[in-house]
This record gives sequence, structure tokens and C-alpha cells, in this order.
Amino acid sequence: MIEATRLSKSYGRTRAVDGLSFEVRAGVVTGFLGPNGSGKSTTMRMIMGLDRPNAGDVTLDGRRYHDLKWPLREVGALLEATAVHPGRSARNHLLSLAQTNAIQKERVDEVLELVGLTAVAGRKVGKYSLGMSQRLGIASALLGDPGVLLFDEPINGLDPEGILWVRNLLKSLAGEGRTIFVSSHLMSEMSLSATDLVVIGRGKLIADTTVDDFIRSNTVATVLVRSPEAGRLADALSSIGASVTRGEGDSLLVTKVDPARIGDAAHAAGIALHELSPQQASLEEVFMELTSDSVDFHGHARVGVAS
Amino acid sequence: MTTVATTLAPIERGRAGLREEILSEWTKLRSVRSTWIALVVVVVAGIGLSALVTNIEAGRWAGLGVVDRAQFDPVRFSQTGEFISQFVVGVLGALIVTSEYATGSIRTTLATIPRRTTVLAAKGIVIAAVIFVVAELTAFASFFVSQAVLMAHGGKALPSGSSIVAQIKSPTIPVASITSTGAARAVFLCGVYLVLLTIIALGIGFMLRHTAGAISLYVGLLLVLPLIIQILPSSISNSIERYLPSNLGLAMIVVTTRKTDFAGVLMSPWAAAGTLALYAAVIVVVGGWVLVRRDA
Repeated sequence: MIEATRLSKSYGRTRAVDGLSFEVRAGVVTGFLGPNGSGKSTTMRMIMGLDRPNAGDVTLDGRRYHDLKWPLREVGALLEATAVHPGRSARNHLLSLAQTNAIQKERVDEVLELVGLTAVAGRKVGKYSLGMSQRLGIASALLGDPGVLLFDEPINGLDPEGILWVRNLLKSLAGEGRTIFVSSHLMSEMSLSATDLVVIGRGKLIADTTVDDFIRSNTVATVLVRSPEAGRLADALSSIGASVTRGEGDSLLVTKVDPARIGDAAHAAGIALHELSPQQASLEEVFMELTSDSVDFHGHARVGVAS
Repeated sequence: MTTVATTLAPIERGRAGLREEILSEWTKLRSVRSTWIALVVVVVAGIGLSALVTNIEAGRWAGLGVVDRAQFDPVRFSQTGEFISQFVVGVLGALIVTSEYATGSIRTTLATIPRRTTVLAAKGIVIAAVIFVVAELTAFASFFVSQAVLMAHGGKALPSGSSIVAQIKSPTIPVASITSTGAARAVFLCGVYLVLLTIIALGIGFMLRHTAGAISLYVGLLLVLPLIIQILPSSISNSIERYLPSNLGLAMIVVTTRKTDFAGVLMSPWAAAGTLALYAAVIVVVGGWVLVRRDA
């Protein structure tokens, strides 16, 4: 379990993390979401004892990182996949890590096999693709067979097969009872792999919940209806208290009533329906909605020539 | 899908410490090519350049004037390659720190060993041990090769206790024996000089964290600082010069028992070694302070 309590960190006058408290429980994948620059990596570094918080505290199963006797055997982390000397082979890189925590050489070959890098283990890491570097980073996180795993943007640079592999790996690691904390700015990915969510924006906590609750509590259920008599249907639905918006062509977007009542109302009015489908708001949309106020760097449409 | 079926044996006692980190640093050092290139340059420049310069000097003996003859030190000439090696070991010492900051892998290192002073100590011990072995072997090999070169030019050892006048009047170029007064000490301290410089560069690496900055400062201390001191009025520069790292190195390597123009300008060999070691200690403490205090 990871427990952050009122964690704060400033760089100069920039507040990167601001009074952040959350809990990451064991046995499930917890997604750590936030726009770029929202303080995810800073938080990860504070968990790992690399950056010192200005205030607050973060513990791993009740202990601070600095007090772990064999840290690699308790916490594995993928912070930056490319943070490896480019002239060193993957095997030697992993061996140098293994030696710091008295991990046997055989384990190096084992994790290389696990991430599928055995064939290129002797090649210089500088010649690796980003996807291969990510796999090496994951291998180094798994080296000490730790109970807590932190992954900072693990699917960056991976191909679809690699993404699927990471998704399954995260789930099975969690299934083994480990604590899995995965940061990402890709909400859609988290909706597929995470069970719990910690959402931050500008260093502050926005939500500490489950993926399901997060979507449910932040979306309005919308139903898409298509009918050749869309105009008449809109009136019929309004009369039963629905809120109706005209969509493209013969479609309507209906809120405040569920699909069953829409179907009943159409039937009663003798109107044919060509489509009746509940719209699931994606995590992406919910997230954009929630963090739109706290994104540091908006892209702006160009509205004129700067004077 | 099986994930982390493991053969990893659990560990109950102790903690990740100096022993483990030394093993890891040695793996890191030996597994990049730049280390081996640097060490080959130290050996080749050490022996080759020394032999070359000695060879040139030996051929000129008959035509050398009184001052040049008086100053000729067959031991010092055998260690000429040190001038190149001091920069090579400095770059190596700085790089083992700054390359980790450049790639970001310092964060991995500090996460595996949360006690940062242990990381500094392990890096220092490993690089110092490697440079000590290579530099000492090179220094002694240079010595014997250079004396052989002198003998090939008909050089002969002067009787022990010979005066400076005897050296000036000698028809053949003087050759040193390793048992000559001060010879073994000078050769040994040449290796020690390179080790202390490596540690200074390592400390600068931890202080500045950037390769270019660290190497600039290091080269500045050895090459630029002496030039600046020379510009000062001699009343000031004379009292400062002996404390310059490069002059401490010279003091460690020349055989000062013979009266040369260095006498009085340079410290005694052991005092110079002690002073340079003090510099190294101060720089490492400052580097360690930065390492512990600043975010990684």
C-alpha cells in the first residue's frame, strides 16, 4: 500500500504538488491520471525518495522509502525508460542494478526472458527503440520481485501488441496481490487497465476513487435515438420530462429519462425507432471535463496575428 | 499468462550497502567502452610519450647547455606522459558521475541505494582502485622503459651521491635506477597524483552534475589557474604557486634531492601529496553535500 499525506513540493515559485493525499491499495491496478505537468512524475519521485517533499509524507506499507533495507526487493519502478547509459548492454545494466540489492545473476536472465529482450540482451541500450527501452525499464522494475510497483507512462512508445502485453502484465501483477501504481495522461488506457483512480490537476487531488464510480458520478447518462419522425418523437419525449437535443440528421440526444421509457413513449405514440442506444461517456471525456480548469498549457486556436 | 514466477531467494539480514554498491559500480565501470579507451590512453600515453620525450632528450645530451644538464632528471622525464594522463583520468572521474545525471540513471542508482553517501563512497573507491592499479603499473613501466631508452643512447648511472657538477660534466646522459634516491618515491607518487586528481574530478562531478561544466572546471584548475597566477605580481604569485594542483603534482614527481631551480618553489613530495589529498577531501565533501541536499 502507498499512502501519501498532504504531500507538497515546490520548485522555486512553482507549486508542483500541493497538499496531495491519497491511498493506493494492494491487489488492484491504480491509475494515476493528470494532464502533462500536473505533478505525476514529481509525486512518483517523492514516493521513491528522490525528491524531498516541502511538506507532508509518503509511505510504502507504512515505511518511508529511505528506510527500506533492500529497496529494489520491495519497490520496483519504471520512472524514465531512457535513463540508461546508451553504451551499456541491457544485461549489464540489469546486472548492475541486481548487484545493489544482492539479487542473483540468474534473476537478470529471468526478467529479460519475461519482457522478451533475451535475444537483444547483449546489444547496447542506445540502439534500442523506445518500445524496447520501455521493456527494459519494466524488467528493471520487476528485478527484485517487489510487492509495490510504480510505472510512469509505461506504454509510451509501445506498439499495439506491447500495449496489450503491458495491460495484461499490470493486471496479473495486481492479481498476485501487489500494489500497482501506473501514471498516464492517456485516460482511455486507464479505463482498460485500472480499477482504482487517483486523478490530479495542477498538483491537487481531483478524485481518489474507482474507474466505475469516477465515470458514473461525473457523467450524465445520454441516450442516442434515431427515428424517421424525429420531430414528433422530440415532442413526445419532452412531454414525459426528457431533455432533448437535435443531433445530426434524424437523431436525437436524450437525457433525464432511461432507454426503456423512451421506447415506451415511442410505442405509445406509434413512432418507429431506428436506433436506441445508451451513450457511455468515455473516461477521456470525463477527464477532460474535470481537468479543463487545471491544465497549464492549453492549445489555442489562432485567432489573429499577434501585434 | 505467468508473470513473475521467480527464482529470487529472499534475504533476511542486513541492508543494501557499500559492498553491494561497489559491485554494481564496478559492473557499470567495466561495461562501457569509454572506460577502456581512457585506460588504454593512460597506459599508451604514459609509456609512449615518456619514452618518446626521453628519447629526444637523450639524443640532445651532447649539445645541452649547463642549465639544461643541471636540470635533467631522468626520473621526471620518465613520467612525462602524466601530462596527458591527468586529463584523461579527470574526464573519466567526472564522467562516471555526470553521465548518470545526463541520462537520468542517477535516479535509478539512488533508488537502489537510498543512502546517497554510500553511492558516493562506492564510486570513489572503485574508480580510485582502478586508476591506482593502472597508473602505478604505467608509472613503473614508463620508468623502466625510459631508463632503457637512455641506456640505448649510451646513458650511464652516476655514482650515488654525485654532485650537480658531476652531472653537468658527465659525458653520457645520466640514467636513474629505481633504487636511486627518491626515484621509487617519485614514480609511486606519480600514480598517486593521478588517483587524487581522479577523486577531485569525481567530487566536481557531484558538485556540478554536468559533464561540460565539470570538465571545464577541472581543466581550469590544472591549466588556466596557473596562467592566472602568473599574471599576478611575483610577490604574490611566488607564495601561491606552490599550492596549485599542477605544481603539487610536479613536487610529487621531481626528485628534489638534486638542487634544481624547483628547490624552494615546490613543496616536499609528501607534503605536496598531503595537500592535494586535502583538496580532494574538501571537494568530495562539498560534492557529497550537494548530492545529499539537492533533489536527484
